[in-house]
Amino acid sequence: MCGLFKTPAYAYITARVRARKRKLIPKETYPKLLNMQLPEIIRFIEESEYKKDVDELSAKFKSIDLLEHALGRSLGASYRKLMDISRGEVNYLITEYMRRWDVWNIKTVLRGKYYGASEEEILNCVVSAGELHYPELELMAKKESIGDVIASLEHTPYYPVLTKYEGGMLNKIEDELDSLSYTRLLDAVGGSPGEKFFLKFIQTEIDIKNLKMLFRLKKAGVEREYVQNILITGGLELKESDLTRLSGLSFSELVHSLDGYSYWRSISDVVSDQMTTLMDVDTKLDAHLMNYASQISHYYPLSILPVLDYVLSKKIEVDNLRVIARGKELKLADEIIRSHLVM
Amino acid sequence: MAIKDTIKPTRSELIGLKKKIKLSESGHKLLKMKRDGLIIELFDILNKAKNVRSEVEKDYEIAQQNLNIAKAIEGVVAVKSTAFALKDAPVITLESKNVMGVVVPRIESTSVKKNIIERGYGIIGTSSRIDEAADAYENLVEKIIIAAEIETTMKKLLDDIEKTKRRVNALEFKVIPELSEAMDFIMLRLEEMEREEIFRLKKIKS
Repeated sequence: MCGLFKTPAYAYITARVRARKRKLIPKETYPKLLNMQLPEIIRFIEESEYKKDVDELSAKFKSIDLLEHALGRSLGASYRKLMDISRGEVNYLITEYMRRWDVWNIKTVLRGKYYGASEEEILNCVVSAGELHYPELELMAKKESIGDVIASLEHTPYYPVLTKYEGGMLNKIEDELDSLSYTRLLDAVGGSPGEKFFLKFIQTEIDIKNLKMLFRLKKAGVEREYVQNILITGGLELKESDLTRLSGLSFSELVHSLDGYSYWRSISDVVSDQMTTLMDVDTKLDAHLMNYASQISHYYPLSILPVLDYVLSKKIEVDNLRVIARGKELKLADEIIRSHLVM
Repeated sequence: MAIKDTIKPTRSELIGLKKKIKLSESGHKLLKMKRDGLIIELFDILNKAKNVRSEVEKDYEIAQQNLNIAKAIEGVVAVKSTAFALKDAPVITLESKNVMGVVVPRIESTSVKKNIIERGYGIIGTSSRIDEAADAYENLVEKIIIAAEIETTMKKLLDDIEKTKRRVNALEFKVIPELSEAMDFIMLRLEEMEREEIFRLKKIKS
């Protein structure tokens, strides 16, 4: 019975996201963009769906900075549109998923205040894609101190975490905020078939976050207790006992103890205990998550999954365009740019 | 002005000149030894400077490459936002040490190289691209500080070698020859005066 009530809401939102997805740049375009010169790429983006954002920001930014801000603004507007056109449970799930952008913005404002950055500098780094609207972010950026920013968030779910801030560096508060967004998301997902896959996706994302953190922290030789406290619980394969075990290992031991997990297949060719860079591991794990998302996106057409597919596809498009444009501007080798594209 | 016009041909002047020549010769010897010592020091530093310069260039390339990748993949907005998380500048202390009378700097730095958890940004919301860009730039700053010490030392040694060389040359080709010439002139004049005196006495006797 419950499922029958939900279906019309999903029918509407999934029809809308399918229409929006059709407007996204097809995958075949990226190799062509990669062969273009920078002015051609700029022109392509300026004449695409991003024209409105480029035009509106052209007085404030120039060249690739203009493109990057236009891409970020378009991403924020697309996600906000999803929240506006969805109702009920769908809206609740989308809002919870988009809280990561709220966390991003809160972290940026706090960092800006900590560093003493100007209001303009802070606002140039926010992406208004979550529940917090741009005017609210503007008000936050206008605050005098970190304490004032925290006080202004009193009626948000982030306030209990923020009150733990005791001055100094923000890393612990940042990690707790990120952790909170995942915990809330896990709690928000219900038990319908589509949502079960959505939950699996979130759990996989948590596993991948944990794996990336384990690699980074173990390579830096961070002590076990710190690693254990920072890892996010609620993953799919990496349960709490696994995390406790893995956080006690050295980097070399960690590398050799991952072959039992499904993620190993994605990273085995770039992982070794002598590896000097972890960038390839990050890229491979990101690709693993995207592959999983595209696999499950068609399982239940009238569920949250097509919405998730659109959310991720839009993010991939923005990331790919930025990687190509920035990569060309910064004269990165085509192989490096290609290796970071998700196609 | 010729020496003859400025020097009084007296015995006391001769004694004074002899002392000056002795002093100049020992000074010349010491300065030559200092110059040679500084050149040996310079060659030691030169090798280090060559190595550190190429290391700085290499580290700069790596740092720039890592930063460019972070900017392209994460976005300039994300890199800027993350950079706000740390406001402490590295502490650099400047001391001095003495190398054969040349005062050269000794630069020491603290809190340049940081552990991943000391950089101020959260771990969950950032990536290894940010870590590696930060790491590469920390290495670069450390190397630049070492290069600054070595290259300043080298510059100061070169300046001092040049100065010492000028002094050695001045003593060797100007001061000592002029003093010797003056001494020869006084000796000649004194001998002549002695001969004149003998001649005068003989003339009075006869």
